[in-house]
Amino acid sequence: MVKKTIMCPKCKNQMTIEGNPGETKYILCSKCKTEGKFFFKDENFSEINKLGNTVIEVKNLTKIYNGIKAVDNVSFNIKQGEVFGFLGPNGAGKTTTIKSILGLIKINQGKIKINDYNIIKEEKKAKKIIGYLPEKVAFYNNLTALQNLYFYAEMKGVSKDECKPLITEFGLIDSLNKKVGKYSKGMTQRLGMIRAILGHPRILILDEPSEGFDPRGKIQVRNKIKELKKQGTSVFISSHNLSEIQEVCDRVGIINRGVLVAEDSVDALSNKLKLKPQMTIELGEINDEIKKSIKEIKEINKIEITENKIDIICDSKTKAKVILAIEKAGGNIINLKTKEPSLEEVFIKYTEASQ
Amino acid sequence: MMQNMILSITKKEIMDNIRNKWIIIITILFASLTLFASYAGSIFSEGWQDLGVTISVMSGLVNFLVTIIALILGYSTIVGEIELGSMNSLLSLPVNRLEIILGKFLGLGAVLTFTILVGFGLAGIVIGINVPNVDYVEYLVFIGTTILIGLVFLNIGILLSCLFKKRSTAMGAAIFVFFLFTIIWQFIVAALLILTASIDIENMTIPDWYFALNFFNPLSCYGSIVSLNVSAVSIGSREFINQIYPSFYNTTNMLIALLIWLIIPLILAYFIFKNKDVQ
Repeated sequence: MVKKTIMCPKCKNQMTIEGNPGETKYILCSKCKTEGKFFFKDENFSEINKLGNTVIEVKNLTKIYNGIKAVDNVSFNIKQGEVFGFLGPNGAGKTTTIKSILGLIKINQGKIKINDYNIIKEEKKAKKIIGYLPEKVAFYNNLTALQNLYFYAEMKGVSKDECKPLITEFGLIDSLNKKVGKYSKGMTQRLGMIRAILGHPRILILDEPSEGFDPRGKIQVRNKIKELKKQGTSVFISSHNLSEIQEVCDRVGIINRGVLVAEDSVDALSNKLKLKPQMTIELGEINDEIKKSIKEIKEINKIEITENKIDIICDSKTKAKVILAIEKAGGNIINLKTKEPSLEEVFIKYTEASQ
Repeated sequence: MMQNMILSITKKEIMDNIRNKWIIIITILFASLTLFASYAGSIFSEGWQDLGVTISVMSGLVNFLVTIIALILGYSTIVGEIELGSMNSLLSLPVNRLEIILGKFLGLGAVLTFTILVGFGLAGIVIGINVPNVDYVEYLVFIGTTILIGLVFLNIGILLSCLFKKRSTAMGAAIFVFFLFTIIWQFIVAALLILTASIDIENMTIPDWYFALNFFNPLSCYGSIVSLNVSAVSIGSREFINQIYPSFYNTTNMLIALLIWLIIPLILAYFIFKNKDVQ
């Protein structure tokens, strides 16, 4: 237990709080009633898990169901503080990989290490630092939300005091004593997120985290992921929502038919596929001279001209050439938009290629 | 640490199952029936017979209701959680499968014991009010054996829960187990006696293997322990019992058989669960 003296940012009231390293303490100022939170730094945590250290190591993972390889020789690493997106079409092997990482299923071949602990031989030590949001979130329906969370807090060895502030943060405070069986899908999903982050896990595994959330909830989840990343948590996200992955992930892995077909940052994957940005130029008028001067530029990969709009796919260097050519031809550029290659394109290319 | 985990799961199981509507309904039914049996037994008969009537009616109830309660508690505890999806989250916590099995056994066992104690406790109060000089030691032996048989069926239920992939299949298997031990077994034994022409009606002798078969049905072991130890429902004096029963047919052996019935399904359940993929 560590003691800290903190100051309320609003009324400057000084308070002493106690907490365990790695714990987030929620505070209510005794004077002005301002709410806030304080994160007790875990010195061991930062020592052992310096940014860059591998926290999830999957090596040659193979899982066979009824003679069919659901996951085939998959290997990847996830580093401390990294957000890793795991993508793939339905039935590609995403959930099987997650369940293997968590030791929920027996693997046929390979090795999985969590913070250097073998998930099979040292499962308790490995799981101690994991928070998990499954694709199908479920609780004990006869128990209330609070009773459920108290149970998970007890199992994780976390103070029960952590539950209520998280319930407040995720907007479930009014349904605290309601049986979970009477919760809507969205509410259950929020509760699932609370359960996953309860106890400030060093590794967070999220299987389709946006499923069941309304747009506001999705933003909240994304912000939470970014906040946890800042604190050094490694996040492994499996999702269909590619824009979400692109926004929060440092690296992505693409799995198709059980095989990991790509693993890198979105930019690096785009470069590997030679995907180029798309530029849309809006002009006051497009005359024949403009059309001719653009068509003369050989480096352009694709060109599409409509009434007063030109869509061009080319590399960054050619963009300037195009703009200059239009101006020389007397074109009046009203608007210019550039769209970088999206994860969607990367995903489609990789999954198409391995079909 | 291990004990903490087991204790937490035990507590959760108790909290979850005392709110299970089926358990509540059957517990109320069980308590009402035992209450009725004890009341009827004590007001319509005289003297020591009162407890005899009550216990024999109660034994019948145990065969059906306690078995049903225990199987209901057990059959869905693992497969139900897997189907619901909560097992994924439970197994992602720093807990191993042995702790889960033990925690569940203790929690569900506590709920079952509570149910039996409520039913028999109410009956005990009625008997205490209406019948003088009741031998409570024998009554406690009866309750203790009933709890044991309940736990045996609970573990059979837990085993079925680990054995099957679907809750509905596990339920079907539990129904089969129920009928097998309560009804079908008697037909099998009777058929064997007839087919082997083993009963000597003139000399009133029954072959030893017939008694040995009791070890293979926990309900028969239970019935034997009750009839051997609760004089109110016993078929005769100890000397008479010693004459008609083979030497191996005694309380100690029956208790050992029940303990084996208690432990083996739980061990099997653990090993099956340990190697099970949680989908």
